[in-house]
Amino acid sequence: MSRKLKKIVDRLKELESLTLQCMKCGVCQSVCPLYQKDFFEPSVARGKISLIEALYYGRMENAPGVLKYLDYCILCGRCKRFCPSSVNIDEIFVRAKGIVREIEGLPLYQKVLLKSLIGKSNFVTTFQPIVSAGFKLVSKPSKADEEIREVEFPIKKNVVSIKSRSFNTIYGGFHKAKNEKLRVIFYPGCAISYMYIDWGKAVVDVLNHFGVSVYVPKKNKCCGIPAATMGDVELYKKMVKINHDWFETINDAEYIITACPTCEYGLFDLGKRIAGIDSNKKHMDIMIFLKKILNIEFSKKLNKRATLHIPCHYEHEFDSDLIDELGAFNSDFQPLENQSCCGFGGTFSLKFPNDSKEVGNPKMKEVKDKDFEILYSPCPGCVMQLTDLAMHDGIDVKVEHPIVEVYRLLKEDGI
Amino acid sequence: MSKRRLKKLFSKIVGEDNCWIEEEILASYSYDSYPEEPVLPDIVVRPTHTEQIGEIISLCNKMEIPLTVRGAGTNLSGGTVPLKGGCVLVTTALNRIIEINKDDMFARVEPGVVTQKLANAVEKIGLLYPPDPASMKVSTIGGNVAENSGGLRALKYGVTDRYVMEVKFYDVDGNLVKGGGIPVKLVTGFNLKGLMISSEGLLGVISEVMLRLIPPPQARKTLLIFFDDVIDASSVVSEIILNRILPATLEIMDNFTIKTVEKFHKIGLPNKDALLLIEVDGHPAALEDEYEKIEKICKKYGGEVHIAKSQTERDKLWQARRDALSSLAMLKPTLILEDATVPRSKVPDMMRIIQDVAKKYNLLIGTFGHAGDGNLHPTILTDKRDKEEMERVYQAIDEIFYRTLELGGTLSGEHGIGIAKKKYLEKEIGTGTLKFYQKLKRGLDPKGILNPGKVI
Ligand SMILES: Cc1cc2nc3c(=O)[nH]c(=O)nc-3n(C[C@H](O)[C@H](O)[C@H](O)COP(=O)(O)OP(=O)(O)OC[C@H]3O[C@@H](n4cnc5c(N)ncnc54)[C@H](O)[C@@H]3O)c2cc1C
Ligand code: SF4
Ligand code: SF4
Repeated sequence: MSRKLKKIVDRLKELESLTLQCMKCGVCQSVCPLYQKDFFEPSVARGKISLIEALYYGRMENAPGVLKYLDYCILCGRCKRFCPSSVNIDEIFVRAKGIVREIEGLPLYQKVLLKSLIGKSNFVTTFQPIVSAGFKLVSKPSKADEEIREVEFPIKKNVVSIKSRSFNTIYGGFHKAKNEKLRVIFYPGCAISYMYIDWGKAVVDVLNHFGVSVYVPKKNKCCGIPAATMGDVELYKKMVKINHDWFETINDAEYIITACPTCEYGLFDLGKRIAGIDSNKKHMDIMIFLKKILNIEFSKKLNKRATLHIPCHYEHEFDSDLIDELGAFNSDFQPLENQSCCGFGGTFSLKFPNDSKEVGNPKMKEVKDKDFEILYSPCPGCVMQLTDLAMHDGIDVKVEHPIVEVYRLLKEDGI
Repeated sequence: MSKRRLKKLFSKIVGEDNCWIEEEILASYSYDSYPEEPVLPDIVVRPTHTEQIGEIISLCNKMEIPLTVRGAGTNLSGGTVPLKGGCVLVTTALNRIIEINKDDMFARVEPGVVTQKLANAVEKIGLLYPPDPASMKVSTIGGNVAENSGGLRALKYGVTDRYVMEVKFYDVDGNLVKGGGIPVKLVTGFNLKGLMISSEGLLGVISEVMLRLIPPPQARKTLLIFFDDVIDASSVVSEIILNRILPATLEIMDNFTIKTVEKFHKIGLPNKDALLLIEVDGHPAALEDEYEKIEKICKKYGGEVHIAKSQTERDKLWQARRDALSSLAMLKPTLILEDATVPRSKVPDMMRIIQDVAKKYNLLIGTFGHAGDGNLHPTILTDKRDKEEMERVYQAIDEIFYRTLELGGTLSGEHGIGIAKKKYLEKEIGTGTLKFYQKLKRGLDPKGILNPGKVI
């Protein structure tokens, strides 16, 4: 055994108490979007966990081979959610990747990407206008929507244009509500900071309208999930800490509000388990906050065929609340039957563009067959992916975050 | 033979994209749901058309390459571990439902079709495929036939074999063989479909199955009953059957399992010694009558009866049973799910024996299972890293098995023999029968390439 491999094996052994909990029942096959597509054991959690074990019990020596299949994972968490033994699968994957990557080294392009985009928050802010202008040069506007542009990634993809000024530069700071009831922090995350700026605006204005004052960070600091998925666990931990440190500086905010379930998952759920950091503030998705804490009611009912894709990282105990809430302002509303993943997975969709599309396609087929006009999803990643899939197949559906609709309805009522 | 050469040979049949010799793929097909030591094969082959099975099998036979067939790999007896290396043939890409015939009420499927997917497709046209193993969301029909799997409805509806009308399979020479057919009465030749049921991949590779479908029951009623003594609960089971009532489901759970479910899921179960979950189905009038009789019997033994009045309530009553295995699994790192089955009049004795064994070997054992057909799942919770405890675990399993046989029971109600129960087989079936198995095997597979090291 090479010294390098021995090092990997020794470190992977740290995960033994987590992997042992997997009884190899195979139930994860039924929910893994990748297994459901390719019926291939290394795609699914049981296979990946077995590979980690095969390495540290000495049944195989090819560590990069294992890494390949740890990377081939959307990190959607569906396996963990439905695992009868409650195995901490996401934690096993992220930590195992971290260990192998640390010793094998990160591919150079990922190193550069991570250090510049995530580690230094003002990199993007400073260079954003340039990136944005460059982006306009390499891409061409999509026919259907001016905001969305076609770029040739590994495959053709329709993406939202990167704005020349970030949400944080425009909205960073404290927004006091008129009849203040309560103070919260709004954590926008990268996608809302640089692309879906309107969503951020909607969140702040809607909250203000209902008497909630909002703190917005002046600079965006990534939640760290991209670092975790690429296997840079230290950078991930650092980002979780930086964000939590900032949350702690704001004493009078009771909640941390997010509009991206993956950020919420990265900062709190996975963050707690991997970075060991917890917050004494409560955290909540904006839609659930409106429904459960502010109890807002809607008088206007939209009358378009609308549906919902629930993001994999959503706090699923609130799924039925979200469904009720959307049903309250859409008279013709019915959630999607297909409850699987959209296939995005952040860096996954860049590394495996075709697989990513294949995972999402059955969902879009349902949208098309049932002739939905609006497809809501309270997650920037899902919206990005579903928009791309819709445009690719020429499906005429508007994909958006429900907060945008709520904002529109309130504005019609004159806020 | 070198792996590269193997790959070349098999690529000619299934194409380069459907066979693998990379270590990480081999390691992914080295285990199943039984906690034994994994063994890596030399090559993994995934046919995409059933005809390729014949070519694969005859290549293996010619070159004397051991061949292990694998569906979802969820069997609980080590049946898909390639003990002697060689080739693992994965059926998961053979997953087409070829036909569902509403008029003659049958379905024809490829072996890799997932049980739940078939059940859903059948339900859509208003029919029922009754076998419902707890693993049906992932298990394949090929695996179900080769293990003759049962499920929660087996008491009334029987296990897989009752629904198999026809099996097509390839023998070691790559010939396509057909057993059974559509006619309800059919005695032309040997019962070859019977031969493939419970064959555990030792006699041929199944390439197509025709399954009988039935009209679903019109109504059903669900009861959950708590008892102060597990022996009372077991006696209720015998008495229900004595009264000629055949519930679809008659499940039992012991106190240890009840407490564990409550610990992890907090669904409000009382700390009682045992519970029974009973579901009767059929014509609404007959149902009412059966239900009243069952209630009376339960009360006679001091049972506390709860009835479901709606679908939501039914789901609630089922929750405890659904959570049983997963709750036990959370208690300790290693879970060994046993499958001892006794004549149903012996269920009380068996429950007592398991309790004694747990005490004697100082082990955590939770017991639940299909009390109605005497099929219990004593579930041992342990840690495979603890050598000393594992020693006691093996002794306990031995004792459970020998006591099961003494009661006139069987080693396996539904999980098969595989590697796990091989050493007990002769004791149950006798030397003459074992020899007959071996002769049969030698005749059909003279070079012993099909799933070597299993069962016999
Ligand atoms: C959580 C859990 C719950 C379970 N519950 C039940 C239950 O309620 N009832 C029950 O009976 N079992 C149960 N099982 C056991 C298991 O799921 C069944 O035995 C199932 O039928 C196996 O199907 P599979 O596709 O996984 O087969 P595999 O495990 O892949 O194979 C099983 C055996 O069949 C052979 N085989 C597979 N395909 C073919 C083919 N095409 N031709 C010839 N031989 C073939 C294999 O060689 C092997 O010997 C459970 C297992 C788990 C993990
Ligand atoms: S569902 Fe959980 S316990 Fe079962 S195989 Fe998958 S990870 Fe392991
Ligand atoms: S995280 Fe998602 S893609 Fe990855 S193994 Fe689990 S279910 Fe499959």
